[in-house]
Amino acid sequence: MSDNEPENEEIRSDGAGIVAPDDETPTWSERKARKTGLSRLTYEYFERARREDQDLRTESDYVERDVLAFPTWPHETVRNLSIASFFVGMILFLSATMPPHIGNPANPSTTPAVILPDWYLYWSFGLLKLGPLNPEIAILGDQMLMADRTYGVLANGVVVGFIAIVPFLNKGSARRPVEQPFWSAVGVFGVVFAFTISLLAIKNLMPMNVDLLFDLTFLLPFVFGTITYAVLKTMREGYMYNLNRRYYRLRPPK
Amino acid sequence: MSLERKDDYDHKAWMKKKDLTPVEATFLTTLIWLDKRLRIVDYLELLETLYYRVNLQMPKSHTEQYNLDNKFWYWYPLYTLGLFSTLAYVVAAISGALLGFYYSPATTGDPTTAYNSIEFIMRDLQFGFMLRSVHRWAAQVMVAAVFLHMLRVYFTGSYKEPRELNWLLGIVLISLTMVFGYTGYLLPWDQLAFWAGQIGVEMALSVPLAGEWVAQLLFGGFSLGQSTLQRMYIIHVFLLPFVVTTLIAIHIGIVWVQGIAEPH
Repeated sequence: MSDNEPENEEIRSDGAGIVAPDDETPTWSERKARKTGLSRLTYEYFERARREDQDLRTESDYVERDVLAFPTWPHETVRNLSIASFFVGMILFLSATMPPHIGNPANPSTTPAVILPDWYLYWSFGLLKLGPLNPEIAILGDQMLMADRTYGVLANGVVVGFIAIVPFLNKGSARRPVEQPFWSAVGVFGVVFAFTISLLAIKNLMPMNVDLLFDLTFLLPFVFGTITYAVLKTMREGYMYNLNRRYYRLRPPK
Repeated sequence: MSLERKDDYDHKAWMKKKDLTPVEATFLTTLIWLDKRLRIVDYLELLETLYYRVNLQMPKSHTEQYNLDNKFWYWYPLYTLGLFSTLAYVVAAISGALLGFYYSPATTGDPTTAYNSIEFIMRDLQFGFMLRSVHRWAAQVMVAAVFLHMLRVYFTGSYKEPRELNWLLGIVLISLTMVFGYTGYLLPWDQLAFWAGQIGVEMALSVPLAGEWVAQLLFGGFSLGQSTLQRMYIIHVFLLPFVVTTLIAIHIGIVWVQGIAEPH
């Protein structure tokens, strides 16, 4: 048998010799050279991005940990499992103590006095009751531009749409509420408005004047938003002072 | 010099040379036997590569590097709301699958078959009352947790670059969660369900331009009936589970890739 083997002492025992080297796989520049137009641009960008990543990695002043972080097993896993079982236990406790009941069977001929969706849709239900805010256009002879209900449905779209474009309106690196009083105030406005509009949705259950409730629905969010803005604006001075001091202590100006 | 082949791949000779314990010898024999047939070593190598990839040393986070942890600890309990939503979703999925064995979405009869099947679940089925309760509470808790999760993300500014797309995905998810809740609310076909459905049809009809089309598509007509219940049922137990599970996976996957944003 050994006669057939080449007299080569460099045969390695790691199995590398028996696998054909994969010469067929083109390199990035070869792929780029074969391409034209958009695909060529794509490959050129990939190469640039890889180089940029590499540069960032070499220039980074990130401190690498000399040990691996908080161990996944068992520490993190046990912690997660205990949190998870606590939460699931909470759901089971709720369902054992407050089980839901079922109402009368559906009857299209009798409208119940109170029609309500689940609590988390109250806000949407409340937006349907914005009729008094629906503008009357004088040119159309004081006709509404659209029906009250259409107005309410569109209001849903406006609310969701506004929440969706928040990341494209509020840019920059500020993260904490104290660093961005305005956007925190917008957030508080939104939360309070979600509450008040939900209360408006159940206005026939609320023991108060409906007109007052309608006014408060739109006033309270502004009040709370303004208070938030004022408080955070005041706090910002102190916070930014401490943060800057800490930052410059770590990286003294040259 | 024997007739037996002796080369680098003569594993038996190699094993003999090693002076192994019985346990080790059994293990190696099994491994080699399997490997000759299934190329196990290739997959072990892949696993090993994966192991090292996922255990890559992470750079210190912003808060660690600048020792700002004492400033932010109060946010951290809120960082578990995403996990909580997912857990509630899983609980609702399990209990919902069990409920699905006994529920039938039909408006025939008086009271309807759907209503009767809920009554059966609540009165006659072993643990049925608890099962329905768990399903309902898991749904309520999920909506609440998702909403609070969104607030946490908003107030810690976690939606900012490079996480805008995940914020948009989150808005899709919270909307779909509410659709989940709404379709589920209609399934018992009691008075509240019926009239909530009525409002739904009217809202769909009020959508400009596409209103009638939307009402036809979602509610199967302009007045409530068998087709409405059937559609709500299919949306609730077939369409949404697939879509929402996929989106949750993508949502969490993006968080994994991008890392968890801490307030600066």
